[in-house]
Amino acid sequence: MSHPARTIAYLEARIAVLERRLAERSAALRAVARDACDEDLINLSRAAMGLPPMPRAGFGLRGWKETTTLAPSEVEATMRELWRSVTPPNFGDGE
Amino acid sequence: MTERTATLVVLAWNRWDLTRRCLDSLRQTDLTGADVIVVDNGSTDETPQALVPYSSWLKVIRNPRNLGFVGGNNVAIGEAEPDSDVVLLNNDVEFRQPDWLQKLRRCTHSAPQAGIVGCRLILPDGRLLHAGTFIVPDTMWGQQIGSLEKDVGQYTRTREVDGIVFACAYLRREVLDAIGHLSVDFESYFEDTDYCLRARRAGFKTYVCGDVTLIHNEHGSTAGDDGEFTRIFQASRDAFRKKWGRSLESRYKGEVLWQSIMNFPTGYAASTREILRALERRGVRASYRYVYGPGTPYPVEEPEPGGDYLMNVISRRNGSPAIGVVYGQADVFHKNRGRRKVGFTMLEVDGFPSDWVRQANRMDEVWVPTEFNRLGFLESGLKRPIHKIPLAVDPDYFHPGIQGFPNPSGEFVFLSNFEWGERKEPWLLLKAFNDVFSNAEPVRLVCKIINKDPAVRVRDEIRRLRLKDSGGRISFIFNREFPYYQLGAFYRSADCYVSAGRGEGWDMPLMEAMACGLPAIATDWGAHTEFVHEGIAYPLKVRRTVPAVAKCPYYEGFFWADPDPEHLRFLLREVYENREEAKGRGAAAAREMGERWTWEHSAEKIIARLQELER
Repeated sequence: MSHPARTIAYLEARIAVLERRLAERSAALRAVARDACDEDLINLSRAAMGLPPMPRAGFGLRGWKETTTLAPSEVEATMRELWRSVTPPNFGDGE
Repeated sequence: MTERTATLVVLAWNRWDLTRRCLDSLRQTDLTGADVIVVDNGSTDETPQALVPYSSWLKVIRNPRNLGFVGGNNVAIGEAEPDSDVVLLNNDVEFRQPDWLQKLRRCTHSAPQAGIVGCRLILPDGRLLHAGTFIVPDTMWGQQIGSLEKDVGQYTRTREVDGIVFACAYLRREVLDAIGHLSVDFESYFEDTDYCLRARRAGFKTYVCGDVTLIHNEHGSTAGDDGEFTRIFQASRDAFRKKWGRSLESRYKGEVLWQSIMNFPTGYAASTREILRALERRGVRASYRYVYGPGTPYPVEEPEPGGDYLMNVISRRNGSPAIGVVYGQADVFHKNRGRRKVGFTMLEVDGFPSDWVRQANRMDEVWVPTEFNRLGFLESGLKRPIHKIPLAVDPDYFHPGIQGFPNPSGEFVFLSNFEWGERKEPWLLLKAFNDVFSNAEPVRLVCKIINKDPAVRVRDEIRRLRLKDSGGRISFIFNREFPYYQLGAFYRSADCYVSAGRGEGWDMPLMEAMACGLPAIATDWGAHTEFVHEGIAYPLKVRRTVPAVAKCPYYEGFFWADPDPEHLRFLLREVYENREEAKGRGAAAAREMGERWTWEHSAEKIIARLQELER
């Protein structure tokens, strides 16, 4: 086999392996997405990007701080914090 | 529209940095039909030289010395074209709205009997400084409306007011012709209120055009000279008191002692503040006393008043008005200190406890907000006259133009706002929402929950509901207290409001959300039937009434609603699937709240009763 043909064969095999791995990883992520809560998904995607997990904002049952004291809060800050806690980060177009 | 020209007068005394910012930003706006005069009021800094390059588009008048705000402006008013309107401007205002002048002019020439028109003024950091002024004879100190609240879009309609500050004042030529220049009784301060009162006496009205907002770096020209400020202010205040004291006192046509609760985060407290404000506007001199405290069912002392100037004044008023209104639970009606006694209360079930009825029967008359409560009281044995005084909403703080913070992901958001407990039946909504939606759908329920009962573990109670992870997604805002004036922004952050409890005495949050233009799903029973109907909301069917079992002792022996879970599921899906229809109902709700259910309407009914009682 000529040198260019060997290279092409090697690259094709490599692509096939990567495609298989991608399919497996996609299936795994779909399975996770089916069962994990929003918060876990957000933190997974953050971890994949090398970012720290979101702080526990207390808008879900897990981050809940049971108290009978009312905390003075601003609407804008609270709502922005709430939406940030339930929205996956936007990493642009993958550039 | 009148194509009247306007002469813009910018008064400057030193602080060229401010004047330059004012003029540079002014020039970027639409000055069609306007000419500009800058009065240099004897500046000793670089102002005279710096103004030279500006003379291509404005006229400069240089006073040899500082003639004060009044003297400086009067010189320019005299220089204005005789058929032109005049707009007075401080040099510490900044323009970021290109059509500000055209809007002010349009407002001045279209609002009924308008003579003077001002605008909203905000500080550079975004806080609302001014949306008109009021002055009470108790203190003779003019106060700015909306002062220092975060700007959420409050006061954006055109409103008649007592006065405005003259940092920006559009004066119609007819007013100038009728009452002349600013009064030289005042060097600075009070001249604006004085002018508005003089205009009123001549038959003109003062408005704030909420559609126009300027930036105001307040007191920019006198900042840093407290001694000078105090001297000028006191002299002007004394002159003002002498001139207008009696006239302001004579505005009051009646008085009332209001015994209630004011400085707590409760519905009674919030509505007390609004009622007292509306009564003051309509010429009823109210005094306030806290009705609870030691020896009552709510033995807590009332906290010191906050930063609400008018409420502080009303709280400190003395005197013994003939009519006393106790506004609270009827078991404190006996504390009424008036010679003519009114008890004003409400309850969430279909009758009233015997002690409440006993105390109510010692009143001259009883007020309730709803037909539901009127019938409940009568059926429980009330023998005294009973009248309906509806509660209401403030259309300046609750309207569709309030700036919300919607979910940027575009999820459709249902919102509910309640204190955890049997009456609000929260588990019904949580279960229904979680059942009817899946977590794959872009929809979310946000519940703002308050719990002050240490015996209740809200999280555990929610966990026991075994909500499905695969079901509709729910977020909780737990035990956070928002400033009342920001609640409109909270409601505007959602798409639909839900109030699916068992009974309400009124339900101000529901009414406020509806006034903000939200479609609402609300239990079709009790107080809701007073203002919720198919045309503007989604009434939630009730299967039957059931015994009102709760910790609250007042409910014992009475009944409340059993909202239909199936119908709630249907309505949640209905709103989600038919958003345009829902939006239409929300818009209709906002219109109806603004037209029929304001505190002015409540005050009107209260005043009618007070007048009747005084006879």
